[in-house]
Amino acid sequence: MMTTMTEKSTEPVVAKTVTVKASVEDAFRIFTTELDSWWPRSHHIGKAPMKKMIIETAKGGRCYSEQIDGTECDWATVLVWEPPRRLVIAWQITPEWSYERDIEKSSEVEVHFTPVGNGTTRVDLEHRFFSRHGAGGDSSRKAVDSEDGWGMLLELFAKKVEEAGEN
Amino acid sequence: MAALQELQLHALGDATRRAILARLREGPLAVGVLARAFPVSRPAISQHLKVLKDARLVLDRAEGNRRLYRLDPKGFESLREYFDQFWTEALDAFKRRVEKPARRKDGR
Repeated sequence: MMTTMTEKSTEPVVAKTVTVKASVEDAFRIFTTELDSWWPRSHHIGKAPMKKMIIETAKGGRCYSEQIDGTECDWATVLVWEPPRRLVIAWQITPEWSYERDIEKSSEVEVHFTPVGNGTTRVDLEHRFFSRHGAGGDSSRKAVDSEDGWGMLLELFAKKVEEAGEN
Repeated sequence: MAALQELQLHALGDATRRAILARLREGPLAVGVLARAFPVSRPAISQHLKVLKDARLVLDRAEGNRRLYRLDPKGFESLREYFDQFWTEALDAFKRRVEKPARRKDGR
C-alpha cells in the first residue's frame, strides 16, 4: 500500500498497483519522460486527434497533449517531482472533459515507484479527491460539446449495465 | 455511494433514458420539448426524468411555467468508477511498454 502524502480523506479513491520487470529508474523514466510511448491514444481532451502526450519533468511542469492540428491541451500540473520514487500531479479535467485552471478544483494522482528486488519495481498509483471536480458550483456553461466526456462515461455505464445483465 | 451508483446504473440501463441524457448534453431542455423528441408519452418522459433525477444525473429548475432539465455535473461522482477502469488500462499499457522496450528509441 502507498502512504498518503496530504490530507486524509474518507472519499473513495482509485488505487492501482502494477509490478514491472525494470529498475526503478527505468520505470520512472518510462512513466514520465516516455509517457507518450504508452499513454492510451484515446485519452486526451483536445478537439483534434492527439499526436503526442507530454509531461514536463519538474515541479510545476505542465502535462499536455499536442494535437495533429498543432494545438496544445493542458490537462495536469506536476505538484511533486521526486525521481525516481514519487510523482504527484493535479488532474485538471472537469467532469465535462475540459481544462480546469483551478488546482483547488482538480483531483490528484500520486504515483510511487518501489524497487522490490530482482530488477523489478512496484508502481502504486492513487487517484483521489474526485469530489473537488464538483466544487465548481453552478457549471451551467455549455461545456459538453465533445463526444467524450459524458458520452464516454455514459457508454462506460451502459457497458457495465449490460455486463451486469438483468438483476 | 453504492446505492447511488446502483440508481445510476439502473437509470442508464434504459435506452430512452440514455437518449434523453444525450439530448441534454446539448443544453437544458423543457419536458415538453423532450416529449416531442421521443416517441413516448409526456407522462412517460416525466417518469424517465424522475428516475434520472433520483440518480442525480439531471437537475431541474422552474423557469416561468416550464420545468427545465439539464445534466447534473456533480452527479457524476462515478468519475471514480471511470478512472478505475482508465488506470487499469493505462497501467497495463505501461507495463507492456516497460517490459517490451521500444523498437525505435530514436525520435519522439
